[in-house]
Amino acid sequence: MSGDAANGHAAGGGGPAGEGLEGQHALGVRCEGLSFWYDEGATRIAALRGVDLTLAPGASVALLGPTGSGKSTLLQLLRGLLAPDEGRVLIDGLAAGEDGYEERERRIGLVFQMPEMQLFAATCRDDVAFGPRQLGWSAAEVDDAVTSALAAVGLPADRFGARHPYSLSGGEQRRLALAGVLAMRPGLLLLDEPFVSLDPASRRDLEAILRGLRATGMGLVLATHDVDRAYGLCDARVVLDEGVVVDAGPWRFGAGGEDALLSHRLKLPFVVELWRRLGRAAAEAPPELAAAAEALA
Amino acid sequence: MAIAQYYPRASPIHRLDPRCKVVAVAALVVGLFLRSSFAALAVYGLVAVAGLLLSGVPLGWVARGLRPVVWLLVLTFVVQLLFAPGPAFYTLGPLHLSLRGLAIAGYLSLRLVVLVVASLLLTLTTPPIALTDALAWLSRPLRRLRVPTEELALMVTIALRFIPTLMQEIDTIMKAQRARGASFTRGGPLRRARALVPVLVPLFILSFRRADELALAMEARCYLPGAPRTRLHPLHAHRRDAVVLVLVAALVVLAELI
Repeated sequence: MSGDAANGHAAGGGGPAGEGLEGQHALGVRCEGLSFWYDEGATRIAALRGVDLTLAPGASVALLGPTGSGKSTLLQLLRGLLAPDEGRVLIDGLAAGEDGYEERERRIGLVFQMPEMQLFAATCRDDVAFGPRQLGWSAAEVDDAVTSALAAVGLPADRFGARHPYSLSGGEQRRLALAGVLAMRPGLLLLDEPFVSLDPASRRDLEAILRGLRATGMGLVLATHDVDRAYGLCDARVVLDEGVVVDAGPWRFGAGGEDALLSHRLKLPFVVELWRRLGRAAAEAPPELAAAAEALA
Repeated sequence: MAIAQYYPRASPIHRLDPRCKVVAVAALVVGLFLRSSFAALAVYGLVAVAGLLLSGVPLGWVARGLRPVVWLLVLTFVVQLLFAPGPAFYTLGPLHLSLRGLAIAGYLSLRLVVLVVASLLLTLTTPPIALTDALAWLSRPLRRLRVPTEELALMVTIALRFIPTLMQEIDTIMKAQRARGASFTRGGPLRRARALVPVLVPLFILSFRRADELALAMEARCYLPGAPRTRLHPLHAHRRDAVVLVLVAALVVLAELI
């Protein structure tokens, strides 16, 4: 099923001043007939089957689906860490091998699940500088990128720069890993389950950071089980089940819109669920909710 | 890619006690090297092939097991063929082709094949944990010399169990660093070695953390090093194991006499 998740947020560039990360041009990505299999000994497991998807520059998209639906695989294919068995990925209309494709591919940032595992340097500064250094930037550019990235994630360089990554708390480490990717000034940010294993306060911090990034015009693809945060951060959603896109487009509820989520073992955003229940006969609703409905009406 | 590829199946070979299989294969290997004759090789070869057929393991898996030694095989064959001493029927400088060379080349290559097939027979039909148990039992006499065989066996079991986990983690960490622009294929050996630092450091950290947690978990379940431990699946020797051992002994004697 073809998906056009382009609605919603305006295309990138020229957003309100983020923490020095504005200005890089957002990337648009399209998948055509993307398929990928994993070989497990004697068997072949289809992770993705014929995925067609369009992500406009600057769009914020939630990638939803039960575990094993292919979300991580799709993200890795978009970033070029895996080569598709069938189909292709187009970045800004360019296909792999074409001039300028590689340069754009490097500008897609991918934050893995539990990204703290990628931390290895002796100081926070050094770890965040790893990415920009690989891109061959000058010392001054690297320095600049590191400082703005650390600022963007709430770990200012003057306080955290010289600290050892492992001396940070779990939530701080998560943000440090994100800074490592942001320092490369991505035009599109892919996040694989960024909220997993974080306490509520850290989740709120991370959500605020992502909101800030969105405001700078950066494109966002959020693969997550946290439907509530996805609903809050993204304008559109893509639902994957068993490697197939079963729904794509802006959020819609009512007239069967919920089925896209419910029939694929996903829950509705709490706000939507609440409205559903309030919508039922007052006699069914617990007295507190009935009173709230009255007050909100 | 697994270290000890195990192919599960209900065959007479699979049902044998792992201790019996280890001793039998060890005897075959020793016998192979004791005697250098095509006749003996034929006996051992037939036994290995018979064992394979009885085990019901697909030939594809056996072929895959042989792949790592293909180059060694070719090298052995070619070197022996070209340089072995003996009455030559063709010489070209240092190259020296003789019928004897051909015979030696053939013998050594075939022996290598039989060796690999025999050990494949062991690993394809025995789960790694059972193998470890067998080796632990067989090395028990070493306890008299204060060698901690039980603990060593446990270490091997834990290592085996975590190999797939570690491989998965290496893959993930490498991908994460590649996403930050790291390359593990560029440059000479020194550069590539340095490129592994961002992979090895996190891997070590993860492994140490895991070791800590595993040790705590084991202690919480009352594990005490050195205390006698029982097994969920204790090894039971059956009559068929004794029969196989006797047969193997007979074959070795036969091979010696031929």
